[in-house]
Amino acid sequence: MQLTQGKRYAILGLAILGMGAVRLPFERGLTNELTDANLMPPKLEMGTSERIGQTFSAVSLGGLRTLVATFLNLRAYGYFTEQKWADVGETFDIIVDLAPRTAYYWDTGAWHQAYNASAYYLHESELAPLRRELNWRASVLRGEEFLKRGLRNMPENPQLRQALGVLYSDPNKVEAFGEPEVAYAKSYDIFIAAPGGAEANGMSRRFALYSLARIPGREGEALALVEEIIKTPKSRTATVLNLLYTLRYFADPEQSVGELIDAIYPDRETAYELLSRQWGRSRDHFPMHGVARGISLLELQLGVPSERSILKQKSLPPLRVDEMFPKGR
Amino acid sequence: MNPLSNTIAHASRIRVIAFHAFTQLVRMKVFYFLAFFALILIGSNFFNLPQHEGPEAAGVNILHSIKSWSLGAMTLFSVVLSIVATALLLPKDVEDRTLYTILAKPVPRLDYLAGKLLGVLLLVFVSLAMMDVLMTGILHIRTNMVMESQVAFAESRGHSAEQIALLKSDIMAQGATASLQGAVFSVFLRATIIASMALLISTFSTSTLFTTIISFLIYFMGHFQADARAAYFTSEAGTSDSFLARGISLLISLALPDFQLFNVIDAVIEGQVLPLFILGKLTLIGLFYAVFYVISSWFIFAKKEF
Repeated sequence: MQLTQGKRYAILGLAILGMGAVRLPFERGLTNELTDANLMPPKLEMGTSERIGQTFSAVSLGGLRTLVATFLNLRAYGYFTEQKWADVGETFDIIVDLAPRTAYYWDTGAWHQAYNASAYYLHESELAPLRRELNWRASVLRGEEFLKRGLRNMPENPQLRQALGVLYSDPNKVEAFGEPEVAYAKSYDIFIAAPGGAEANGMSRRFALYSLARIPGREGEALALVEEIIKTPKSRTATVLNLLYTLRYFADPEQSVGELIDAIYPDRETAYELLSRQWGRSRDHFPMHGVARGISLLELQLGVPSERSILKQKSLPPLRVDEMFPKGR
Repeated sequence: MNPLSNTIAHASRIRVIAFHAFTQLVRMKVFYFLAFFALILIGSNFFNLPQHEGPEAAGVNILHSIKSWSLGAMTLFSVVLSIVATALLLPKDVEDRTLYTILAKPVPRLDYLAGKLLGVLLLVFVSLAMMDVLMTGILHIRTNMVMESQVAFAESRGHSAEQIALLKSDIMAQGATASLQGAVFSVFLRATIIASMALLISTFSTSTLFTTIISFLIYFMGHFQADARAAYFTSEAGTSDSFLARGISLLISLALPDFQLFNVIDAVIEGQVLPLFILGKLTLIGLFYAVFYVISSWFIFAKKEF
């Protein structure tokens, strides 16, 4: 039978549909399989295509999402150097829509907002103090939210967990989250629950200690944690030793300071150096129990002239938002 | 003629036509330059580009950037080449009157079409292989550089051998892995589907421009096929979508290829492992489409008058 070209087209149309019916279940199953294996990129958020523009949208839909994300990352870097913070934030929102499983986009986006933008508003003298404070706080919170979104996408990612924990324990930012102890508690919760090997946990536990020690009322818990941490020789960092000193002193202020120092530090010179360092960190919200007493004793024993005493340096109280954004400026 | 020698004769004809098509395309300088441009684009990653500067490109992130940049160039190049080269083949043979010479000989039209398609695919394959070798080489060098600096840093900080081994395997996972080669192969598979689809369109198309535009449109629409399919099945589960909307969703699902499946390259760039059985399934789908489109092309082309 001789088929006309028109009939051939009709048969072709039916064959295409028939072929579609055959492959549909297979493709559907494979899509599910790829999604389960995290090999299928998630759907773009509504509005992302509009925000990235027609060209980029077409390119990203054409299977080049990560390439578009790379280009946008370059664009965001440009906005960062020009200090266009709103554009930086918006660009990173799009980037993470395109490549939601790349931790460093979440980390970098949060870093730009929580650290770079907030530092800009902290020092931007052209703006009124109230505006600076509001923008500063909003930048820090945007960075926090960005990291939280990242963690919702990649709950087990240690880089993002650490970034959020560090943000909550930054003494210059804690007040953006409300009362400092609330932020330190959040930081502690993140670090203490960190998964990983013994060594990774070692670092996370130290970070957890640094946050816990700064929460008034939880000194007992902090002392138990630091006693645990110092059992690992590698964990005996300067801050850990100083915290051990202050927390043991807090637990029993009547004890002999000399004996306490000897039990903790390798020698008295080191003890003096480390405690002096601790004295200089008063703005970081670290506990200072017994530090002045310890330094006085050590200066006496090491023969430090009183006019050169480290205690002559004023121990400043932790930096408060009111101080960062004085009303009169 | 017995079936074996018949098959050999078919294969031999297809091979001759394929190499002729390949030579023909290589001689078209535009593809030459396109491939050269893609190679430069990938090769440029050897140097410190703007995207390699700044803290966001520190450490393994530079490897991520190189992979993204290179696979992007490969995808773009392979899609453009597959569509444009295939769209040009038939009209060019008609214009040069080569087609009449070939068809006047006892060359089955199926052999002619299959040979032409294989010629395009050979060009795409060779180009992708060159780009892959370049990308792998650059990634290898960059991975070693990252490894050296990060291991030195870890050692200076006194990390244990266990942690350093973990760091090394993390860095290696971002380098030139087998999954990355799988991703390049899936770029080729996607190009195979596009080229065979463009071949089908060119059998009834009236111009090269028409074939090119329609092929690009189908390519982009093919990335929505999975959404249309999901919409069809979701509405079947009880939503109150209109009959028309469901019909359109079904039509798109049945008629268009699902190009979204080949976007596994994004996951590979992000460091995911591409299992061999998944790649096998993608290959099956790619072959299924290619064979179907070639047979369909022959079905239309078989009785076409010139």
